[in-house]
Amino acid sequence: MSAGLILAIETSCDETAASVVVGRAIRSNVVATQAELHTPYGGVVPEVAARHHLGTVNAVIDEALARADVTLDDIERIAVTHRPGLIGALLVGVATAKAIAYAADKPLVMVDHLHGHICAAWLEPVALDPPFVSLVASGGHTRLDVVHDYAAPRLLGQTRDDAAGEAVDKGARLLGLGYPGGPALERLAVDGDPAAFAFPVGLAGRGQRDFSYAGVKTALLYTVRDLGDDMYMRLADLAASYQEAVMRPLADRLVDAAVEHGVPAVALGGGVAANGRLRTLVAERAAAHDLRVAVPARELCTDNAAMIGAAAQFTPAIPWPDYLALDAIATAPPGGIAA
Amino acid sequence: MITLALDTATPSPSLAVLRDGVALAARTLSPAQGAGRRVAQEIHDLLTSSGIRVRDVGEIVVGVGPGGFTGLRIGIATALGLGQALGIPVRGVASIEALALGIVACAPAGTIVAPVIDAKRQEVFAAAYRSDGDGGLQTVIEPHATSAAGLVERLDGVATPASPVYMAGDGLHRLMEVVTSAIVAMPEDSPAHHIDAVVLARRARTGGARPVSPLYLRLPDAEVTRIRAARQAAAGTARA
Ligand SMILES: [Zn+2]
Repeated sequence: MSAGLILAIETSCDETAASVVVGRAIRSNVVATQAELHTPYGGVVPEVAARHHLGTVNAVIDEALARADVTLDDIERIAVTHRPGLIGALLVGVATAKAIAYAADKPLVMVDHLHGHICAAWLEPVALDPPFVSLVASGGHTRLDVVHDYAAPRLLGQTRDDAAGEAVDKGARLLGLGYPGGPALERLAVDGDPAAFAFPVGLAGRGQRDFSYAGVKTALLYTVRDLGDDMYMRLADLAASYQEAVMRPLADRLVDAAVEHGVPAVALGGGVAANGRLRTLVAERAAAHDLRVAVPARELCTDNAAMIGAAAQFTPAIPWPDYLALDAIATAPPGGIAA
Repeated sequence: MITLALDTATPSPSLAVLRDGVALAARTLSPAQGAGRRVAQEIHDLLTSSGIRVRDVGEIVVGVGPGGFTGLRIGIATALGLGQALGIPVRGVASIEALALGIVACAPAGTIVAPVIDAKRQEVFAAAYRSDGDGGLQTVIEPHATSAAGLVERLDGVATPASPVYMAGDGLHRLMEVVTSAIVAMPEDSPAHHIDAVVLARRARTGGARPVSPLYLRLPDAEVTRIRAARQAAAGTARA
């Protein structure tokens, strides 16, 4: 692992991001979010995202270089998210990164987005060293990995259907909280009783480590239907109970996995790591087992390019110009990370 | 001055390297789904075979469409990335204008030409131009997405058996039924059906340069749906 400067680029979903990192230090971390662009559609629209990435990515890269006070000449390698994600969005970042690396005579590192989320905990100031169990939960992903080596996280479990953040947004919509309703649901839940309604928790099969949110969502749908207009008197309780059914299995399985694998720490990543209830549940359960809880800053949990720069340091670089024929890939590789 | 020109609006991307406006090498890739994804490797191969290093490139010209959205974005992102890293200008040219100039070169002088690019969904991106005989184009019909019938309607009055419109491009297969004595399809083996990056580069030098931003000419589907829903809601409110 060398400590050269890395320029990292991330365009897999609805954030256009670029960052300069060196080792564990972040020199700049620029994110141009498109979230508001997608609000009228009630979800991320791939074509809208791709159009916006193309119009933004070069300026975001310039800004990342400027804030780090470096030029492209100072950069040792370029890194880019090449999977998984929205293909049209990924292709903008990959084409841009390939062209920049090629023209600047640099190696290129093709980074798995999920590997990036896991490696966010490696960056300062959290600077977590293995071994630990990682939970990455967001609107697009929910997965548990045991990390003995940042270069090769081992997948323990993932969602069978909706991602945790997606489940929260869908629940919020059922409660009439709009899109994206995650933050509104969390605010509402603060005043509610998490035990008021017994929703099935989001687990799939005993003994396994996969997650499933289809049942929780359906249970909420029926409850809302049965309550009719009474729903509005019980909104806080509904929000709290639903949130509990989504978050508790995440916290339980994270801590259970750490205990089972005998590791001293757990890490949170992804946008759902910002959820206060999840943090509380993880902190409580981890404390009972003397586990360290590592939670990177919010801007390193949501999609960003600094984490891609981190993962790039655990992914082989491809020498100039061997990467020119390589491509973006929409799907995750079966069973883990493409490292 | 070395110019690198590329167009990825169609499934047959075209690339060219020029020195002071004179082509050193050019290639058009055989049509394939997702051909745009090969463009970076093809650029390197073309430069290498021309004995040009990428850092010797002094300007880039890129086709901005209309055409397949993903292909366009790959070509434009590649051009902008090269330009950003090399610190050189990147100029856009409407791909459909380069296609038009290719037809002009093959059609009788003074006629109107109508380039058609396959837009999928039973539509084409089409336009019509009159050559000014000097390498320039006068717009007769602005580029737009249209059905075959819609295009014929637009060409009605422009095209007559005495002065037919010459049509070419990879969208032609959607128009074979409407070809009349007033609308002449260029022969199948004519080079006029393909966008030539050499022509694209020349177009940039002769007043055809424009901002490097895709000519989508179509809203994202989700936007169309949203607008339709908003209109229906508004109509519902008005009735109520
Ligand atoms: Zn993510």
